[in-house]
Amino acid sequence: MLKNSWLGTAAEAVVIVAISTVLGLSWNRTLLTGAWKGEPTQQVEVAQQGAVLPMPIGLAQVKELSDAGQALLVDARSSASYAEEHIAGALTLPLEEARGKSASLRGRFPAGATIIAYCNGFSCHDSMELGKLLIQAGYSSVYVFEGGLPEWRDAGHPVAKGGK
Amino acid sequence: MSLLKRYLPAAVRISLGAVFIYAALPKIADPAAFAGSVAAYRILPYFGSYLAAAVLPFLELICGMLLVCRWRVKTAALIIAAMNLLFIAALASAIARGLDIDCGCFRQGGAKTSPWLALGRDVLFLAMTALVLRFEKKDATTAAP
Repeated sequence: MLKNSWLGTAAEAVVIVAISTVLGLSWNRTLLTGAWKGEPTQQVEVAQQGAVLPMPIGLAQVKELSDAGQALLVDARSSASYAEEHIAGALTLPLEEARGKSASLRGRFPAGATIIAYCNGFSCHDSMELGKLLIQAGYSSVYVFEGGLPEWRDAGHPVAKGGK
Repeated sequence: MSLLKRYLPAAVRISLGAVFIYAALPKIADPAAFAGSVAAYRILPYFGSYLAAAVLPFLELICGMLLVCRWRVKTAALIIAAMNLLFIAALASAIARGLDIDCGCFRQGGAKTSPWLALGRDVLFLAMTALVLRFEKKDATTAAP
């Protein structure tokens, strides 16, 4: 009798977990397929804003461009976070610093350079903000890698510590 | 005294259920932010954080609703106990590794809730779950035909 009631409870638990899983997966299917393919999780809203908003870019392309030396990776997080861990070869440009002296952004990188900004991924918006500042400063080829450091690190790509 | 005895089980059950419903809603509304909170624990890989962020809130919501509606209370309470143990383990490991992160328990973003506070809260919820299970068992033995 006791054994039966435990079996019943276990079966109910399995059903509840299964229902939650199905609900959760279907509710978030767009987000999940995007994350699986390494696509950015936030869509750039309006087409006409395209001129002032940096374009999202996925992990595979970031890796390709950085391997080929065709893009500059820029870390939008604080210099402390940068020192702790950053994408190998990335430069540090904390959003706060860029906000403070946006005039100095001009001439900081080669004029025609392709710049990819990143931060902590997921809901971190600093890279998008930094990207906007860079576009305002006159750079035309600015991208935002929204997976950021977590996606890069978890894909097993090289990271580095220290430095300024 | 008898009033307390009479209403305490329902009060504990409904408030525990309400807490889990309240915890689930903001995560369902902004799964990407919750995935960020999960990733900050550095326990799951990149996609795993998204999977957990997609499924966990619905489990919280369903179990919370079951408790409030008093339907399949034993099963719901056991699942909630398991989730609480999981959260406690995750928080403890975050504290042990010295991670300075937001617990991501309720509303995402905003002021940080320290892992210690969150841990204490989860222990309280676990105790409430044990009470709910106990009351249900008592009910089953006295009310059974």
